[in-house]
Amino acid sequence: MTKKTTLIIVACALLSMAGLAQAQSGTGTTTLSVAVGAEAALTVNTGTTSLTTASTTFANPYTGTTSLTYFMRTGKTTGTGTLTLKVTADFTPAGGPLVATPPSAGDALTYSPTVSSPGTAATGPITATTTTATAVGTWGAAASSAKAGNSASVAWSLTDDPVYAAGSTYTATTTFTISAT
Amino acid sequence: MVRGKLALRLTAPWFWLALGSLPAGGGTGTATETLSATLTPVGALTTPSTATLTTSSNTFQPFTASVPVNYQVRTTRTGSGGAITLQVASDFSPTGGPTAASGALTYVCSGANLGTACSGTQTASTTTSTPVLTVPASACTGGGGACSSQNPNSMNLTFTLVDSPVYSTGTYSANVKFTISAM
Repeated sequence: MTKKTTLIIVACALLSMAGLAQAQSGTGTTTLSVAVGAEAALTVNTGTTSLTTASTTFANPYTGTTSLTYFMRTGKTTGTGTLTLKVTADFTPAGGPLVATPPSAGDALTYSPTVSSPGTAATGPITATTTTATAVGTWGAAASSAKAGNSASVAWSLTDDPVYAAGSTYTATTTFTISAT
Repeated sequence: MVRGKLALRLTAPWFWLALGSLPAGGGTGTATETLSATLTPVGALTTPSTATLTTSSNTFQPFTASVPVNYQVRTTRTGSGGAITLQVASDFSPTGGPTAASGALTYVCSGANLGTACSGTQTASTTTSTPVLTVPASACTGGGGACSSQNPNSMNLTFTLVDSPVYSTGTYSANVKFTISAM
């Protein structure tokens, strides 16, 4: 009887000590989900592009280049990307060049785009309009730019017409639109 | 035989010690009983079953998600305390998108109301557990006093996932396993 009681007490003590020393743990699991979609963005590096000419004979147009950086990721199977531009505010003040109603036949604001790979530039020169967006570049499916963006540019050409009134600086606004699916 | 055994137990000193007093011979007696509980270290936690990483940018800025962690913990006076860690149990799938194995998934801990949240930006790993929270010895959830007043305790993790242009479009999922331990 005595021996049996002693054994039970020792066993209980050991069990108690084991409980104190044992580390307890639990777990939980969270599923992180992310939808990676098509992305497109554009930075116009040249906020104001000045068109200039070195000619004094009206033989050479005013020219200038707008620098762009594009960010692009298109869908992996059927995705596409597009970059367009449109003249959203015609030249002002009056008396100078006009995109919508050129003072003389043949006057035009044209551009020739370049778009680095994986984009493809539209073939210039292209006449800019105030009524419709015109192409600058396109991208195919599964196209991706560098994380810091890729380069593109638009080289402008504006007819130098003798009828433009001298003494003013004429300003127009062009809006670029980039999209991806 | 049975009566003899009973008489022997009632007169044994340990019987009266267990009752807490010896009989005084009158009509009133008291007895005390000792209740004993062995409190073991405990750790438990809950996290949301899913968390969605999002971005408002279209220039490849990172995806982020906030993940609350609720936990209950009790550590011993002499133990090494407790901890919460995490490990990416299964990497993002399907292929073609981000991977935690490449170090694209990081997190920041904040707002722990018991213990100390991990400091700085931690990179989640598929191979090793990384710190989320440390709990000192003699810490406990709830009840106030020496324990925290909150039950459960809570903290927050903000996950950040790199957005790379080379990721194929699509939805990707990974499992993150949180482990809480207490000693």
